[in-house]
Amino acid sequence: MNPSEFTEEEQGRYDRQIRLWGIEAQQRMRNATILVVKLKGTATETIKNIVLAGIGKLILVDADDVEEEDLGAGFFFCDDDVGKKRVDAAKARIENLNPLVTVEVVPNFDVLNNQNFESTVNGVDLVCITDWDSDDLVRLNNICRRSQKPFYAGGTYGLLGYIFCDLLDHKYISPDRSSPKDAQKNVQMKASYPSLQDALRHRWSALSKRQTKELNPASIFAVLSLWKFQSSRKRLPNGTQDAQDLQQMADALVSDADVNKQVLTTVPHDLIESVALTAPHEFSPICAVVGGLLAQDILKTLAAREPPIANFLTFDGNTGGASVCRLSMPTTSL
Amino acid sequence: MSTAPGRTKHAEAILGPKLHSRLSQTKVLVVGAGGIGCELLKTIVLTGFTQITLLDLDTIDLSNLNRQFLFRTKDVKKPKSITAARAASSFNPNAKITPIFGNIKDEEYDVNWFKGFGVVLNALDNLDARRHVNKMCMAAGVPLVESGTAGYLGQVQPLVKDATECFDCIPKPTPKSFPVCTIRSTPSQPIHCIVWSKSYLMGQLFGTDEEAGAGTSELDEAEKNGENAEEIAKLRQEARSFARVRAAIRSYNVNSPEDPAKIAFEKVFKADIENLLSMSDMWKHRAPPVPLDYDTIINGSFVGVDSSQALNGTTGASGQTNGSKVVMKDQKKLTLKENLELFVSSVHSLSARLSSNEVQTIEFDKDDEDTLDFVTAASNLRSAAYGIEGKSKWEVKEMAGNIIPAIATTNAIIAGLIVLQALNLLRASLSSPSPSASASSSSQDAIHDPGTQPKVDYSSLRNVHIQIKPSVPLSSVKLSSPNPNCGICRDTYTLVNCDRTRTTLRDIVHGVLGWSKQKANGNSQLNGQGNDVADNDEEGDREISVYEDKRILADPDWDDNLDRTLESLNVGRGKFISIVHEDGAWETVQVGIGELPPTHPPNADPYILPSPLPKLVKKPKSKQSVPPSTPPPRTSLKRSLPVDNDNDDVLVIDDGENDGKKAGARDTNGEPAAKKAKMSNDGAGNTKNSANATGLTSPSKKRKLEEDGLVMMDGPGEGGMDEDEDVIIIDED
Repeated sequence: MNPSEFTEEEQGRYDRQIRLWGIEAQQRMRNATILVVKLKGTATETIKNIVLAGIGKLILVDADDVEEEDLGAGFFFCDDDVGKKRVDAAKARIENLNPLVTVEVVPNFDVLNNQNFESTVNGVDLVCITDWDSDDLVRLNNICRRSQKPFYAGGTYGLLGYIFCDLLDHKYISPDRSSPKDAQKNVQMKASYPSLQDALRHRWSALSKRQTKELNPASIFAVLSLWKFQSSRKRLPNGTQDAQDLQQMADALVSDADVNKQVLTTVPHDLIESVALTAPHEFSPICAVVGGLLAQDILKTLAAREPPIANFLTFDGNTGGASVCRLSMPTTSL
Repeated sequence: MSTAPGRTKHAEAILGPKLHSRLSQTKVLVVGAGGIGCELLKTIVLTGFTQITLLDLDTIDLSNLNRQFLFRTKDVKKPKSITAARAASSFNPNAKITPIFGNIKDEEYDVNWFKGFGVVLNALDNLDARRHVNKMCMAAGVPLVESGTAGYLGQVQPLVKDATECFDCIPKPTPKSFPVCTIRSTPSQPIHCIVWSKSYLMGQLFGTDEEAGAGTSELDEAEKNGENAEEIAKLRQEARSFARVRAAIRSYNVNSPEDPAKIAFEKVFKADIENLLSMSDMWKHRAPPVPLDYDTIINGSFVGVDSSQALNGTTGASGQTNGSKVVMKDQKKLTLKENLELFVSSVHSLSARLSSNEVQTIEFDKDDEDTLDFVTAASNLRSAAYGIEGKSKWEVKEMAGNIIPAIATTNAIIAGLIVLQALNLLRASLSSPSPSASASSSSQDAIHDPGTQPKVDYSSLRNVHIQIKPSVPLSSVKLSSPNPNCGICRDTYTLVNCDRTRTTLRDIVHGVLGWSKQKANGNSQLNGQGNDVADNDEEGDREISVYEDKRILADPDWDDNLDRTLESLNVGRGKFISIVHEDGAWETVQVGIGELPPTHPPNADPYILPSPLPKLVKKPKSKQSVPPSTPPPRTSLKRSLPVDNDNDDVLVIDDGENDGKKAGARDTNGEPAAKKAKMSNDGAGNTKNSANATGLTSPSKKRKLEEDGLVMMDGPGEGGMDEDEDVIIIDED
């Protein structure tokens, strides 16, 4: 197939989205290979969306078997799949979403070992790791940086969700929204992303009260405290008995990050309590929102159109709101 | 079918056992199985709702497959509702999904039917159906979660009567429209030529005789509005002289002595333009068009107006793909000669269909290649004559078909947010003191009277928007209170179940207002002179008018219809009879018309009045009405993301009315003489003017008149999308 020509089927299938992002963006998506690690609810939604959009190839890695609980948000599985490898159960259903996309599955986590991961990453255009612990995200992100591959992490903890991305030096086209509406031109933009490791050292000192408040820091620190908890205990909190420890970790993080004290000195206890109870659980509507936002951002990055997330998004399912905090990331330059 | 018990473990942990157990007891109506609908169905099934009704009137198209993930290539042309229900059932064997392949505006989906649901979730793509569902939910007292998407943007809004704004509390923008003369004689933008081809020329050549005639009737309106009389006369003459072209089209075959394409071309691109040019005054201040010439275009020697864009027509890519090597065939701009050739071939194809009697008429359909070719070619030829930039077939399809870009991600996000708001609604009703807060079990009258409503705390509900702002991609704001002047949710709703063949308008109106109890029932032979309504005015509030939708059925000076049956007045099941108080002191009473239960005794009255009768609600002091159909320019985007979108439907350009294909509308063509009689008595103009002059005591009345086209511009060819459109049109199919 001539890479610069779209078939009738592609034109028909992708008509409504090409009208949004243009044929060139579609072309870039079609040429992209995406690595997705772990197939839980967030990945299920993300994969559905990027496969429908028409990426070239998906490589999906998960070593685990389908559990009964996975049926709650995992619509690639059915009852009969319980006990099978997740990736084996899902493969045909993913392929079925869009016959134009190639799907490759890897039923073990060996590729995540340092050496394997580097060579795997070199063969793909973008890496997306879901529902994973933060220590390992730091490690995998660093490997991606060495290979200059854009990196996404995303996941949900009960009603909370997050997306982190490290897109290195990312160039993209975006309408200049600062100019008058009738004279908007597309301009080339560039953004420099920090690693996850550096992002986690972010201090909030520069933000005003209003700027701090807008970012909904409580939900950000709720997620960061879960990462801390998981790092020290090697597990997620799973009940109110963990709430107190989680609260202490959250408040220490808030204090260390020098968050504007008029806005937040302590993460509200009812939020901590609900997070301590629900963190190990996933919920379809939350996965739909986070997986939708995550997939959309991956597509924007591939297309090099529109500004991607910069660089840490949290979603709060209690309100339906999402905010994006620039963790150790300077503002975008032209 | 049994399913793994662990399936619901996560959801139960997150929702708590009380709310979780409520899911399977709540009947959910999902309206729409398109982009939002497929995502929504998946998410509600996985969340744990098990009693689901899914309604959609559409069938699957190839262009749906990039986002409507329950559908496959092999499903194209099958009903969306049935296909989606089957596919989503596999996500949770506990779920029972009842698909309906139908129109939400059909009469069986009346107020009683809506009352059977605990919550309604809208996944619609057009304003008309949204407004309809909003009104039905307000009437039935069922909470509604409204939604819409367009491209990267979208929004979700929970609506509860008396507690929050309703969909119509904030006016929605009406589609942009163009003056008749801009379309017919002085186009200056590509869209003007596209509207002309699609709405005018298509009808003149391939439509019914009446459609061809309509080309002159819109001119009557224009003349009334004081547009140039001489110009109108020319246009009228032009519209009348299509007979020869129509005849050639309908007798076309390959051996035809007369080529209908050439005859049509000579008329519309040469003779008609020469005719307009003869009015030299018109072209004093604007560049005159240049008549096109068939033979010189074919041989390449034609010299026209603006040679840069329109005529040389470089075959570069268009718009955003400028400079790119990646081009789809339809994105190439055609040269003048290519446009002429396309015009000829498309006229031949369409003529062959008509002359073979395969069909009697052909309308524009963006998915019908011949009609799209015709509109592309004809609009580009007209553009060439007027020195306007040409458009590619790809662009014309979007502009003529009102296509709104749509992607899976936005729909998935919005669907997740809809379910979260639906859960907030359920949680609120759980915590209310009344155990019967579930709308499905509330009695029909309690919901209409704020006084008797259980106090439910809806403060957790949020209006959520996807927005461009990088730091807050999902904005979540508290809901606003109802607009005190809303012409929909401030009305008082009630319901009369009746046999429409035996129930008169008087039975309904007097019965609901409680007048029938007060007076002897011996005055049923009124002959138009009677002032029954006004004469019995004992309390000073009897000056009423009665409407069905926008039709006036009675007013204080005209009660001929009171003793006619609902059936003879064509007031069907599912319709509302609106009782409007002329002095403006009371809110309008909307009487939903339902069916008698099968157990109703045959010798009893053929109707069941609500018990207790609805309490009239005093209007707020302000006389400033905000009728839903008259949007002022919108300033705040935040609150009022305009939710319109008609993806597949030609919402504007056809004629502003629904074509019945989408959830849009099924117009009652058999409209009884009621309105016409009234208008001929009184004069439509008078009615309109007096309504306006008196400052509109009744929002409903003004709205009705406006919808009727008496105030607003209406008619063929007066709408379209403009490039510099500044409203965000939100929607989703």
